[in-house]
Amino acid sequence: MTGQTIVPIAVFAMQATATVVGQLLLKHAMECSRVKGFGRPPTLKFFIGGVSSLTIAFFLMIGLLQHFDLSFFYPIQGSTAVIIAIAATIFLREKLSPQLIIGSLLISAGIVLVSLS
Amino acid sequence: MDRAPQRFANPWIVLVFEIVFVTAHETLVKIGASRTARIAGWEWTGLTGLGSVWIWCAIGLVILSFLCWIYVLRYIPLSIAFPLSQVVHVLVPLSCWMFLSEHISARRWCGIAIVILGLSVMAKPVAKIEEQL
Repeated sequence: MTGQTIVPIAVFAMQATATVVGQLLLKHAMECSRVKGFGRPPTLKFFIGGVSSLTIAFFLMIGLLQHFDLSFFYPIQGSTAVIIAIAATIFLREKLSPQLIIGSLLISAGIVLVSLS
Repeated sequence: MDRAPQRFANPWIVLVFEIVFVTAHETLVKIGASRTARIAGWEWTGLTGLGSVWIWCAIGLVILSFLCWIYVLRYIPLSIAFPLSQVVHVLVPLSCWMFLSEHISARRWCGIAIVILGLSVMAKPVAKIEEQL
């Protein structure tokens, strides 16, 4: 694999990771806010972490869009729905039923098809 | 732990608002971007778009959508809320078709149908979560 292909793959992997981590931290912050209130240090810590991670993801996405066509990037982005659903069950201990898995897979597949055309 | 509020503050209603705000945001960005002048050397920064009132409306909408999203996350599991929020990728082409007269190909209609099927599969677990809120 040449350096020309490794760099975009690495940037895309970082963008997807930052999106997933950002959403997980934001969700965890809002869970904390239900128990301890929004202004409390644990909530604020996770909230700032989540917003920072999503900001990094946003700028990495702009960087990718400056080099690739939207139609190339959007289908891959559509698959983050499934990754986030799985990550939420692993890290936030959310329950994932077969219906939820099939539903999110169908939504992701539909988005990929919409953005490919 | 506090219970989820009802009526307009119901998290499912707020999730619908979030999806509508993002759809309106993307459509307004498209209108604003196509109506603003391109200045050599600045066209890729997107900053010239700030000259359009539509872009400012879009910025307001994206702030509103973020506020709705963090409210939704307070009550709805991420594994359900995030896939549902992705419906915006279907609503944007639909709104471009309705308001900007853009063409939708047969493959794109198939994709929209698959997303709707996915939503109907998710409806039952969503109803179960609704009982717990």
